[in-house]
Amino acid sequence: MDKKLINEFEMMLGKDRVLSETEELLCYSYDATSKDFMPEVVVFPLNGEEISKIVKLCLKYNNTPIVGRGSGSGFSGGSLPLKGGVVVSFTKMNRILELDEENMFVTVEPGIINADLKSYLSEKGYFYPPDPASYEFSTIGGNVAESSGGPSAVKYGVTKDYVAALEVITGEGEIIYTGSKTVKNVSGYNLTQLFTGSEGTLGLFSKITLKILSKPEANSLILVSFNDINDGFNAAISLLKLRNRPSMLEFMDKSSIESVKSIFKSDIIKITGNFLFIIEADGSKEEVDKSIGEYKYILERFSPVFLFASEKSEDKKAIMDARKAISPSLRKYGDLKINNDIAVPINKIPDMLAFLEETSKKYKIPVINFGHFGDGNIHVNIMLDKNNAEMVEKGGKAKYDVLKKTVELDGSLSGEHGIGLEKKEFMKLKYDEYYISLLENIKKVFDPHNIINPGKIF
Amino acid sequence: MPSENKSYLNCVHCGKCLPVCPSYNIDFNEFLSPRGRVRIVLTDYADSLLLRPGKIMESMSTCLLCGRCEKVCPNDVNITELVANEKIKLEEFGRKRFSSDKLALNILKNKRKVLLKSALKIANIPFFKKLSGRNSPLPEGKSFIGKRDLIFNADTSLEKSQSSPLKHGQVIMQSADEDGKNIFKAGYFSGCVFNGIYSQISIDTVTSLTKNGVEVFVPKMQGCCGLPFISSGDLKSFKELAVNNALAFKGKKLDYIVTSCASCSYSINKLYPKYFNENEENYTEILDFSKKLISIWAFFNELKKHGIEIKKGKLDKETKAVFHIPCHLSNMPDFKPVTAYEKLIGEPGLIADKIAGLKLKPLKYNYCCGNGGMFNVRHYDLSKKITKRKFEEIKEAAPQEILTSCSGCIFSLKDQSGIVKHNEVIPVNHLIGIYARSLRGEK
Ligand SMILES: Cc1cc2nc3c(=O)[nH]c(=O)nc-3n(C[C@H](O)[C@H](O)[C@H](O)COP(=O)(O)OP(=O)(O)OC[C@H]3O[C@@H](n4cnc5c(N)ncnc54)[C@H](O)[C@@H]3O)c2cc1C
Ligand code: SF4
Ligand code: SF4
Ligand code: SF4
Repeated sequence: MDKKLINEFEMMLGKDRVLSETEELLCYSYDATSKDFMPEVVVFPLNGEEISKIVKLCLKYNNTPIVGRGSGSGFSGGSLPLKGGVVVSFTKMNRILELDEENMFVTVEPGIINADLKSYLSEKGYFYPPDPASYEFSTIGGNVAESSGGPSAVKYGVTKDYVAALEVITGEGEIIYTGSKTVKNVSGYNLTQLFTGSEGTLGLFSKITLKILSKPEANSLILVSFNDINDGFNAAISLLKLRNRPSMLEFMDKSSIESVKSIFKSDIIKITGNFLFIIEADGSKEEVDKSIGEYKYILERFSPVFLFASEKSEDKKAIMDARKAISPSLRKYGDLKINNDIAVPINKIPDMLAFLEETSKKYKIPVINFGHFGDGNIHVNIMLDKNNAEMVEKGGKAKYDVLKKTVELDGSLSGEHGIGLEKKEFMKLKYDEYYISLLENIKKVFDPHNIINPGKIF
Repeated sequence: MPSENKSYLNCVHCGKCLPVCPSYNIDFNEFLSPRGRVRIVLTDYADSLLLRPGKIMESMSTCLLCGRCEKVCPNDVNITELVANEKIKLEEFGRKRFSSDKLALNILKNKRKVLLKSALKIANIPFFKKLSGRNSPLPEGKSFIGKRDLIFNADTSLEKSQSSPLKHGQVIMQSADEDGKNIFKAGYFSGCVFNGIYSQISIDTVTSLTKNGVEVFVPKMQGCCGLPFISSGDLKSFKELAVNNALAFKGKKLDYIVTSCASCSYSINKLYPKYFNENEENYTEILDFSKKLISIWAFFNELKKHGIEIKKGKLDKETKAVFHIPCHLSNMPDFKPVTAYEKLIGEPGLIADKIAGLKLKPLKYNYCCGNGGMFNVRHYDLSKKITKRKFEEIKEAAPQEILTSCSGCIFSLKDQSGIVKHNEVIPVNHLIGIYARSLRGEK
């Protein structure tokens, strides 16, 4: 990299907002995937104007690549500087700019942590539902770039359902404003939605306007499990058909029940059966009571082996702890995890789970599955021993099989984490050349010199 | 050199530790974050990139060893241990020239003799004056421990008992003393700060114990717990101090050794056993001392478990206060809160509940105070940025008094210059101080 570019950054932003020493750059060379690439400089802008100037300087200096970064918690390598260049850290841009209580929108800077926004809104009686498991540490900018979602998606949808307007800096360094604070908006193409989930490849967000809801007054949880997969499947489908569908419908299959069983201890909760669900109802107190009654009535009809419902916070914590125990319980199966977040149409979940069991048997490697039933999103964890080359190779094959099957079932390669670097090579499983060329052309419109997060997705 | 801790290999770079880290939150720079530190340590061990010691130190020395990151890490990465070991490693390779801790180390080392005699008056060490300059903590009264071992009898007033010969207190717990009689006796470990600077807290701790029927033994040979040394990479001095302390309490037939400083508990309970191995001289003594040392709050909970009614006190006027939970007080895994104040602040809540007239208000985040080892000495300006953020939550609760139970936290919280207006400075006390006050007021 041209030293002059670093000097220009320092002149523009001040020395303390530019990092260029090896030891510092090292700390921006990774995300939650196991790949790493060193950036050549890290800059910390404070607003859209500065970002625009950063992009224009990069164009001036040989089209130096630029990659945006929130908390670097991505699971697909989105924030990795594949081709070196500049990492733009949004972490200093973490303010809430406006709470519009009349229209029910909040405008924030991209670096704010999801949990900080949630707690700010909660104090004021509002609610921003998207809840990726990383909500305590991932940024809203990263969430919008990946259109992240979590358990509440079954009732409330994912990030894309809340992004109303954006301020974006394009690959030409121009600042544009998309969308508006209206629910109805059909003036031109829907660029807001195009940017949402674009994995930081079309432009950099500097302001984000999100739709918010009123905070539900109460919630209650149910833990239920079934011996027969079909019973469990049919019970869950029945719940989804209700007008007052659950606000969470998480499942664990046989493999993850086995995995958690041995490490999870509780006096009130039994981890048992072959198909287990954690179900939440939210709303006003009366609505919650009514829903829980109704859910229990329905679930009982499918002969569960264990059913426990509670609104007490200690019990709810115990139930959620069971879910949280999955991740640590996996370690006993191996030190290398290939984590896939496929999504399939809901009615294909049993087929997929059966296929995963087969795959595990075929390659003789543990495959542990759990996920969000309401949106067909399955976390498939292929567990390997890092130092066993043969096993690692089998793991790669298993991953290929799983993704291929996903496409056959008309599913999505990634439900939550994005394609980034991790699944780039699998895009052609799903899309033909013509489709991919359309994507490439869209990128060219916003980023003609290919400097914004180059080398990702396709 | 301690045996290599390889937990850096467990790090999956998830980033969960970022938002809880006080040093990351100063500038949101990952070079000063737990995840960044783990990566630097890993790279340094793998030698895959040549990292410069001075730069490594910059990242390590800005860690407060508060342990918040470890608490949230899902993968058991022992970040504080990795950081401490990295500092030791740099020190041992003679690279300390580059270390920003150098000044602190050398001056404290020269004064080690003073420390060992536990007559430390930190504020009188010139470097403290120079470094923390405008805000150096001044000794409040003369030091607690003098030239002789001290014994305080149960249930007699502190002032009188100092010179009186040993009499056995009430029989409240099964434990054989030299004469085969059953008495309950505890050692008291003051730590350098509660001995030399805030000696009133030592007096208050002992008062609270004796008033609850406990006989207290204070050996004169005890000294600093060693935390400032290990957090500067000086393992040798740390170990010398550890041995000195362990030997000071050796053979005294104590059931417990109590301390009212959270940082001392952390150092003695958690760190001592890690830096001694089986084949070393004094290993048994170190382990024994480390096992017996217990925080004052855990000690009162032990009394309660033995069916002993903890004495109630009363303040002469109602006091609204907040309790800052020191990060080093978080090692109470088996503790089950019962009362309202226990739910609010954990183990210390047992004592808070016994003080009539004390009204504790909740703190929103219980953010770090900005001290941690010698952080506020080494990086005064960074430290104050953390303290400033701490005061945002304190001011929201608008207390008349700030309570806590760690010498480091008291240092940090008392220094409110540039944080609150001069005439609005909020007094800071140890919870045991206000408890002792309430006990005295009772009669
Ligand atoms: C333990 C764990 C659990 C997770 N659970 C979930 C889950 O349940 N659901 C889920 O969806 N994801 C999950 N994730 C993945 C990850 O947390 C999300 O993708 C998250 O949205 C990333 O946010 P971030 O701030 O870390 O972004 P980063 O990882 O820093 O960046 C992600 C992408 O966003 C781009 N980007 C960041 N900020 C901007 C901006 N201002 N403008 C333009 N582009 C930008 C980056 O260039 C990159 O391409 C999990 C991750 C971990 C480690
Ligand atoms: S110990 Fe505290 S200061 Fe050090 S890295 Fe962990 S959270 Fe940060
Ligand atoms: S929380 Fe643990 S695993 Fe995650 S980045 Fe921090 S140290 Fe690594
Ligand atoms: S000084 Fe107090 S709050 Fe700060 S690191 Fe120590 S124990 Fe923690």
